[in-house]
Amino acid sequence: MMFQEIWDPWLIGPFLWFAGIAGMGSVAYSLLRLFKIEEKLKELSLVIFASVVLGLVFVIADLSRPANMPAAILSSLAQGIFIAKLTESWMTLGITLLFLLLILSFLLTLRHAAVPALAKLTDAKWYLVLLALIGFLVTVYSGFLISSAPGIPFWNTALIPVLWVLSASICAIAVLKILVHSEHVSRFLTRAGLGLDIGELLALVALLNVPLYAGPEAARASAAALLVGPLAPAFWLGVVLVGVLAPMALGFLLMRKEDRKLGVAAASLYLVGALLLRVLVIQAGIFEPLHL
Amino acid sequence: MRLAHLWDQSKCIGCGACVAACNAANYESTDAPNPTWGGLRTNILRITFDLEAKPYLLLVQCQHCENAPCVSVCPTGASYVDGDGLVKIKPELCIGCKYCMTACPYGMRWLEPETGLPRKCMSEECLDRLKAGLQPVCVTVCPASARAFGDLDDPGSEVSKRLRGGRVIRLLANKGTRPKYFVVVGR
Ligand code: SF4
Ligand code: SF4
Repeated sequence: MMFQEIWDPWLIGPFLWFAGIAGMGSVAYSLLRLFKIEEKLKELSLVIFASVVLGLVFVIADLSRPANMPAAILSSLAQGIFIAKLTESWMTLGITLLFLLLILSFLLTLRHAAVPALAKLTDAKWYLVLLALIGFLVTVYSGFLISSAPGIPFWNTALIPVLWVLSASICAIAVLKILVHSEHVSRFLTRAGLGLDIGELLALVALLNVPLYAGPEAARASAAALLVGPLAPAFWLGVVLVGVLAPMALGFLLMRKEDRKLGVAAASLYLVGALLLRVLVIQAGIFEPLHL
Repeated sequence: MRLAHLWDQSKCIGCGACVAACNAANYESTDAPNPTWGGLRTNILRITFDLEAKPYLLLVQCQHCENAPCVSVCPTGASYVDGDGLVKIKPELCIGCKYCMTACPYGMRWLEPETGLPRKCMSEECLDRLKAGLQPVCVTVCPASARAFGDLDDPGSEVSKRLRGGRVIRLLANKGTRPKYFVVVGR
């Protein structure tokens, strides 16, 4: 068994994680503002902007020709290829979406940190709707990007985009949980997080169970590597225990009585697990063996 | 025009001349390692099956798929299907995202560390040979005539003739890539 070594799991994994936090964080920001919950919006805007930037840093770090990137994209744009590719390549769409989110989140941060006059623009309903839409699309795209690489059968499942949205939504809730102090909001976050956590557990079981029974050879090998193979310790400990079961157990405790320390602990555990999930899914990729 | 490669497994003697010739012609006979595939820098991957009952060899290279995933995923159009039906790369448009490499179901692209470019059959030297009216180097050097190259749309081409006379397999045909690398396994 040979894992794919084309995309570095510790570069693309964190990229996907940051993209999810930035993406669903933007959705959360818009919702909070639209529902007039004003607590910690400045901090959230900083987290979103920093996540887009860090996501870009990680994904660019994995490029084998980073220096050629600006010229290549400009040239592709000038020849009209880039625009045509928007309907065909998730990567083209992703580059565009990340660029848009970078601008939108930069203006957001600027509004909170230095130029309050920008509020006129960034608090407008259309701006918030656009922010939420682009944020959601960034999260979704980062799932389709992986599942649309036909060389790695384990990734070729509709579950990955769904799992990514669920997991990134919980990441955004976790970030808010760490930021927000109001008990009323915290209680809502606990409930929402718990519901999504259960959904994620189901998606995770399906992601691994289906290829074990019905997958191509390579997808089966990937699932087996995660469940009982060399990646199993990291998967069971990091993803299942730390990332899903422990926060879920803490979530049930918090349902009884909100506790800030426990809430922060559950959120931090969740964030670590979500990062590991992405790293391991990338790491577990295996090419289909060729034979006659 | 739909240029295609054919490899006749039933004729191949496993001498590796095509592999060495590809390395010599396209990569200046370098003995620098191929970090993606291991072994030599060449566009032909040699897979040996140590099956007890029937050991066999498979030589694989870019299939010049008619429905090439490497082309559709490429964000900038660096990977493209040319008018002659061959899948080619424009280095000036490549950002090195390696999406084409994870998209190729055959794993037929390898990364050249110095340039960061994904490499595959056919490289510059062989493409220049085509322009000069010559055959790709692997076809020329094969001592067993196990290789052929030509236009599928031309019934008189060597590839078309051999396709009519042999039992032919296309690798991972179920992937929907419509590969144009034909493996003859018998008559
Ligand atoms: S074999 Fe791979 S690299 Fe070659 S055309 Fe098909 S998908 Fe692209
Ligand atoms: S590595 Fe280059 S050729 Fe391959 S998909 Fe990315 S930009 Fe296109």
